Amino acid sequence: MVESSRKKTVTMMLFSAPFGSQYADHLCRMAERALDKGYAVEIFLYSDAVHAQMTEQNPKLFFPVGEAVKRLIEKGAVIMSCEICSIARGYIKGELRDGKKDYSSTKVINGLNFCSIYGFVDMLNRADRVLSFGGS
Amino acid sequence: MPKLVIEISHSPFGHENAYAALFAAMAWASMGNEVAVVLKGEGVHVGRKGQVDPFKNISLPPTEKQVNELLEVDGRVVADRQALQKRGIKEETLIKGVEVLDPIEIRALIIEAGEKFLSF
Repeated sequence: MVESSRKKTVTMMLFSAPFGSQYADHLCRMAERALDKGYAVEIFLYSDAVHAQMTEQNPKLFFPVGEAVKRLIEKGAVIMSCEICSIARGYIKGELRDGKKDYSSTKVINGLNFCSIYGFVDMLNRADRVLSFGGS
Repeated sequence: MPKLVIEISHSPFGHENAYAALFAAMAWASMGNEVAVVLKGEGVHVGRKGQVDPFKNISLPPTEKQVNELLEVDGRVVADRQALQKRGIKEETLIKGVEVLDPIEIRALIIEAGEKFLSF
């Protein structure tokens, strides 16, 4: 268990979509272990990885990434999704409404949030450790 | 200044990797942070100069412009000498400002950066 007064933060970037490879599976498993061991976990979904946020995922034979994402959120992981990648792939509109960005969507798992690339920079600055999955 | 090393091992255009990596590198650098982008394997093609308006011709953003913008804000872009040689890419065909290092020097650069390393 992590024993310092401030929890250490593990920041993970996912770059690949679920199911086409196992990167999302590995990230979810490692993130859950880190949470169980007392680390703070922050995850950034970048590029095709934003498909991990889709509701109603129903893989018959593969690791259930959607269920794992929900469980991670319940356990306290902060999951941020790239705003511009999500707009490009039709998950959100991201238009201004009453001075705020509209991120409402029925296609996205509850509890997940959106940020720009500068939000990811903030996450990297906060991180004690950075792990990337699916880039290469 | 916090350091970040970003490794690119895909060539531009066929995959989003190079564009997305340079986009993140630029965001990091524009916040006053130090960044080094390492071009390895097929990623060395990112360092080549002379792209002809990819936005117009193939509807994709020009990574050469991204590299130049990154160099302008003092970001480092480093190409793996061995990967260049294996692909017959001459150093003089690289974008001005792209450094060429041996693999052992690149390893040292990554180790020096510590925990903040992203791979694309």
